[in-house]
Amino acid sequence: MIKIVKRDQPSRAIFFFTPVLAIFLTLVAGGLIFFILGFKPFEALKFFFIVPIADKYGFSELLLKATPLCLIAIGLSFCFKSNNWNIGAEGQLTFGAIVSGGVALLFYEQEGFYILPIVILAGAIGGMLYASIPAILKTYFNTNEILVSLMLVYVSKLILDYLVVGPWSNPEGFNFPETRQFSDSAKLPLLFEGLRIHAGIFLALAAVVISWFVFYKTYLGFQMKVSGFSLKTAKYAGYKGKKMIVLVFLISGACAGLAGVGEITGPIGQLHREISPDYGFTAIIVAFLGRLHPVGIIFASLVVAITYLGAETAQIFMQIPKYTGQVFQGMILFFLLASDYLLFFKIKFIGSKK
Amino acid sequence: MNTNLKISNVTKIYPGCVANDNVSLEFNSGKIYALLGENGAGKSTLVKILSGVIIPDEGKIYLNENNLKLNSPLDAKKNDIGMVFQHFNLFETLSVFENLIIDSDEQRESLREKIDTIMKKYNFSIDLDIPILNLSAGQKQKVEIIRCLIRNPKVLIMDEPTSVLTEQETSELFLSLKKFSEEGILIIYITHKLKEVMQLCDEVAVMRRGKLVSVSEIKNENIESLANKMVGQNLKTIKKKKAKTSSDQLIKITNLNFTSEDPFETNLMDINFSVNRGECLGIAGISGNGQSELFQVLSGEIISEKKSIEFNNNYIGDLNPQERREYLMAFSPEDRLEQAAIPQMKIFENVALNNFKSSNFFNNGLINENKIKDHSKKIISDFNVNTDNIELKSQFLSGGNLQKLIIGRELITSPDLLICFNPTWGLDVGAINYIHETLIRINEQNKSIILISTDTDELLKLSDKISVIHKGKLSKIMNAEEVTSEKLGILMGGAN
Repeated sequence: MIKIVKRDQPSRAIFFFTPVLAIFLTLVAGGLIFFILGFKPFEALKFFFIVPIADKYGFSELLLKATPLCLIAIGLSFCFKSNNWNIGAEGQLTFGAIVSGGVALLFYEQEGFYILPIVILAGAIGGMLYASIPAILKTYFNTNEILVSLMLVYVSKLILDYLVVGPWSNPEGFNFPETRQFSDSAKLPLLFEGLRIHAGIFLALAAVVISWFVFYKTYLGFQMKVSGFSLKTAKYAGYKGKKMIVLVFLISGACAGLAGVGEITGPIGQLHREISPDYGFTAIIVAFLGRLHPVGIIFASLVVAITYLGAETAQIFMQIPKYTGQVFQGMILFFLLASDYLLFFKIKFIGSKK
Repeated sequence: MNTNLKISNVTKIYPGCVANDNVSLEFNSGKIYALLGENGAGKSTLVKILSGVIIPDEGKIYLNENNLKLNSPLDAKKNDIGMVFQHFNLFETLSVFENLIIDSDEQRESLREKIDTIMKKYNFSIDLDIPILNLSAGQKQKVEIIRCLIRNPKVLIMDEPTSVLTEQETSELFLSLKKFSEEGILIIYITHKLKEVMQLCDEVAVMRRGKLVSVSEIKNENIESLANKMVGQNLKTIKKKKAKTSSDQLIKITNLNFTSEDPFETNLMDINFSVNRGECLGIAGISGNGQSELFQVLSGEIISEKKSIEFNNNYIGDLNPQERREYLMAFSPEDRLEQAAIPQMKIFENVALNNFKSSNFFNNGLINENKIKDHSKKIISDFNVNTDNIELKSQFLSGGNLQKLIIGRELITSPDLLICFNPTWGLDVGAINYIHETLIRINEQNKSIILISTDTDELLKLSDKISVIHKGKLSKIMNAEEVTSEKLGILMGGAN
């Protein structure tokens, strides 16, 4: 007989085990889906999860996709840890990309070591500006940040759309919806000849280290933790709640903005309509899969990045639509939430009494 | 017809605690039974088993020799067991009648007639067509009772019914209960208030730590004997020495108002009072009359006009709690688990919630863990918190130990004024005694206290001056010697 018993306290081991369990269940369910679609499950999973990263190029692509996911998820964890539900990272990414792209275009065909830092900074500021909108509306007008940040995503995408077909479109571009290519000085340097992995990965790693330090060693991190558990306690302790809300949104926006910079000054090299395959939304899954812990987020971003690559490989070799990648991302989140049940309950197998 | 309710060998085990340990009891109609015990003694679990909310691990329940299967509250209703919980289960915005018809299968007209008959019979007067939120706590309770009576219950269980009532409403309730009992309804009355047991009941069963300790007739008991059974030890009585009268004013509240946007909060109207050094000002009242708002305004969680609060010759109305602490104020909120402390955090982290500049818990934005830990160890030893592990998550502390930790955290910095709100709510008698002694001690050290409490006995024991809050207004401030609990009861009900 199986009996479900409430745990006295959430187990620490289970806390890190459930993400692994969720990934395992996702693989099983994925295999099942492939089987129903008429593919050999193991072969399909191999195309999805192993073939794409089997060579050097594939591995570089993995890091390339994981970089923005990791960066955004780190930023989001500042918000989520302190009970602020910023789900508009995609918009902050887009707006950061618009601002930094605009700056990069100002330096069109100019060279100089100072250009790239300015472009990067512009992206961070753009993301921060955009994230400050839901933050300020929340603190001063009591609006719901989930709705505001989400709706602003579409606003930013439309602004980008307008810019690349209108004022910023490439004069020599035959009306393609894209800007001019940025000059080399406005691009992030590539790390290896022939591979697309770029210096943006260092931004992500720096974010990991800084966030770890802030979360566990600083007063701000402590205040975030308290606010995350109980806003009433934060108020009682006298923390300046409004200031903190704005601050975590700014950090989160800056990270998303930087991810946007990494995309347009890295692999893309210009602005066009599709600068992000929903990295900003997928990063929400990454943040929770990584348990809002900086190290956990590194692993989670790698796992989720594979689903992007796998979808492409599967499309090429097996003619499966690449949207299967989103199915896998959805399943990971689904199974993670489901297996979180084990945090609070344990399953007991009771031998039948003879 | 006689009703006989039998609980036979009921056991309910929760992780780490035996809530009911092989409890057997028998009740017969015509008498009022008290089920007495401290918080955590297992009364509520037993009652929840009787009302089908909890299913026992072992044991059986018989009503008139029939073995009852109570798997849900509906089963209890079907078997004519009615229950009035401590917290009302009413829809605030619906009318009284709508609330009554919700779980009834009867036609509107016939139900209305039935309700009218019940109200006439027991002398209840409630307008059936006004929303619940316009009713007083006593009236809401009557609605809950009517809801049970509609079903002609054989058994009526009342769970701590007087915690929200005034003295006058309580005596009305007792009259009704006696009448029900005369009509053959078996009444089980759950409480930890000894006085009520003596006033109302015929037989008393005492529970302690999940076990049934004794069953006896009231006429063979007195308050002391019941108290000792309930606690399991002989209690020493605490007496406060008369404070030295001081005229050195510490805090003065002038024309303080608070208007809330939330309809379920109470507005504070024109609050004026002052407290001298070494004095304890008690603020009595039925819960929900503005105590929580008053606490928040005093602590700085709600900010008011700068000049409305004068503390030690500084105007501090516009400061937040942290800034007020720098002026040597300390606060102990009512809700230990959701506000005063965070159960999921470690003891020393909870200590860091009370953060002074001079305590140096955080230097240049960084956590100074060693400093916090040293400070925590001192609190634990100075305030008898029963653990030596400051890395322990505070959820593993009992309510009493957690409250000692909170009071310790607030007091170790020797503030001039402690503001506390129901500091002994839900604690066992030992911990209550400890907190009371501590509060008396700080008065003796010429520090002041504002004690907001719904426990009248506590207020009479500890206060030098007492005021009553009713619907957001304070009564005039009285000297504690002139006040009796009857007088407080009248004021708490809103009369002059």
